[in-house]
Amino acid sequence: MRFVMFITLKGFFRDRLVHGLLISLVFFAAIPSLSNLSMRQVTELSITLSLSMISVLQLVLAVFLGGTSLWKDIERRYAFSLLALPFSRGRYLLGKFLAVALFTLGVAVVLGCVTCAVVTIAAASYPPDRPIVWWNLLLAIGMDACKYILLSSFAFLFATVSSSFFLPVLGTLAVFMVGSASQGALEYLGSSEAATMAPLFKRTVSYLYYLVPNFSAFDLKVNAIYGIPVSGRGMILTLLYFVAYLGAVISLAMLLFSRREMK
Amino acid sequence: MTSQTLHEPAIELANLCKVYSGKGGSRLQALQGVTLAVRQGEVFGFLGPNGAGKSSAIKSIMGLITPSSGSVRIMGQPATDPDSRQPVGYLPENPSFYDTLTAEEYLLFVGRSFGMKWVTLRQETERVLKLLEIWDARKRPLRSFSKGMVQRVGIAQVLVHDPAILVLDEPMSGLDPLGRALVKEIILDLKSRGKTVFFSTHIIADVEEVCDRVGVILNGELRAVEEVREVMAAGVHGYRLKIRDTESGEIEEVTIHRPALSGYLHGLTPRKEILLMEPVRRNLEEFFLELVKGAAAPGPEAM
Repeated sequence: MRFVMFITLKGFFRDRLVHGLLISLVFFAAIPSLSNLSMRQVTELSITLSLSMISVLQLVLAVFLGGTSLWKDIERRYAFSLLALPFSRGRYLLGKFLAVALFTLGVAVVLGCVTCAVVTIAAASYPPDRPIVWWNLLLAIGMDACKYILLSSFAFLFATVSSSFFLPVLGTLAVFMVGSASQGALEYLGSSEAATMAPLFKRTVSYLYYLVPNFSAFDLKVNAIYGIPVSGRGMILTLLYFVAYLGAVISLAMLLFSRREMK
Repeated sequence: MTSQTLHEPAIELANLCKVYSGKGGSRLQALQGVTLAVRQGEVFGFLGPNGAGKSSAIKSIMGLITPSSGSVRIMGQPATDPDSRQPVGYLPENPSFYDTLTAEEYLLFVGRSFGMKWVTLRQETERVLKLLEIWDARKRPLRSFSKGMVQRVGIAQVLVHDPAILVLDEPMSGLDPLGRALVKEIILDLKSRGKTVFFSTHIIADVEEVCDRVGVILNGELRAVEEVREVMAAGVHGYRLKIRDTESGEIEEVTIHRPALSGYLHGLTPRKEILLMEPVRRNLEEFFLELVKGAAAPGPEAM
C-alpha cells in the first residue's frame, strides 16, 4: 500500500495540474494590495481572500486529482499491471487515496504558510483593530483540508464504478454543492418560512441531510477572520464525523472496486 | 515451496466459464468450461485467433476478472487470494505503466511490492534492464519510450523479482526481430532454470521454438492441448529423398508417403545411392489451422 502511495505521490509532483496549482500561488502575492482596497478591514479581507483562494485550489485538487487518479489508472491501462501485484485491490485503492489525502494536507501546509505571510504583510500595512488569532487561522485551513479529503473520497467512490471521466468529476462537484448547502437546507426546514411545506417532503429532506455530507461543519472561516473562539467540543465532534464518514465512503469504494471487472 | 506445492500444477483452470454482460442485456460467452493444468517447469503456449478467449483466461488467472463459474488456482492457492500472485510475474497485453516514472523507478516499485530487499532489488533491476537492453534509457520517463521499449520494460518488470511462474500475454507484440529473438532466448533460459512460462501468442513459430506444450482455444473452448514435440512427430506424413544413380550420375528427388517408405527402400537397386532423406511434416501452423477450420476433430480437454 505504501509503495502505491509513494509512486502516486511522485506522479502528482510531476503532473501538469500540480504545476498549474503552483503557478496559481502568484495570485496570493496580489492579496495584500487587494486587501488595501477595503480601507478599514485590510487584515480581515486578506484572511478572507486567502482562505477562499485555498478553498478554490483544494476544490480543484479534490475534483480533478481525486476524480482522475483512479480513473486514469484504469483508462490508461496502468491498473492491469498494478492489480496483478501481490496486494489486494482494497490496499491499492487505499494507497492511491492516501496519496491524494497526503498531497491535500501538504498543499494545505504550504498554502497555510503562504497565508500567514500574506496576512502578516497586510496587517503591517494597516494594523487591525483586534489581534489576529493565528491558531484559528490554522484550524480553519486544517478543517478545510479535512473537508476536501472527504470530498476526494467521493471522487474515488465514483471512480470505482465509472468507466468515464464525467461521473467522478461532475459527481464530486454535485456532492460538494449538496454538502455545502445541506446545513442551510435543514435550518430552512425548521424555520417558519417552511411551515407550509408537505411533512413528507420535510421528512425526506431531513433523512437526506443525514445521508449527504455536511461540509458546513468544517467551516471555521468566520472564527478565523474575526478571532471568534473555536469550540473544542465542536471540533472533536466534527473530527469524529470526518473519520466515520470517510471510513464509510472509502470502505464502500473498496468493496465496489474489489468487484470491478478489469476487462 | 512446500513438498505439497511441488506436486501442484503451477496454474490450474477448472471448468472455467466467463460470460460478459453488455448493454441492452447482451451476453458474450468468452470462456466455456476451460479445464487446463499447466505443469511446474514447463513452457506452455496458448494459441487462438483474435477474440478466442486467451486474454479472458489470462485475466482470470491474474484475478483481473471474476469467473462466472469454475475456479483458477495458482500453486494450489485460489487466484482470488492476492497472495497467490506472490510467485507470479505478469505481462499484460499492450502494457502501459505510469508514464511519469522512469523505467528504473517502476522496476524498483514492482520489486518492493514483492517484498524484495533493497540491495538485491538494486542488483536485479540493473541486471534485467541490461538484459533487455534498456539500461541506458533507465533514467528517462516512460512517456518518452517507444512501444517496443515499453514492451521491454514490461518484460523487465516480470523478471525483476525472479518469479517461479511467468504469465505473458502476447510477449512478442510490438518487438522488432531482435527483440523477439531476445525474448525467445529469455524464455528458453527461464525454461532451463525450471521456471513455468504460460504465454499467449499469435505467432506459431514462437510456440514451435520454445514451448513444451500448446493449448488451442477457439470461441472460448479449449479445443486441444498437445505436446509440441508430439505434434511435430505425428505431423511427419512422408519423406523427401535425393537419390543418385551411381552409373549415370543422375540425381533425382522423390517424395514418398510415410507408409510406402519401407517398400520403396526395399525396392531400390544397389546402384541407387541415397544422398538425403528428410521428413515432410505438417507443421504446428497447419495443425492450428486445421483445428480452426474444424477439419480436425475436437480434442478432449487435456490435463
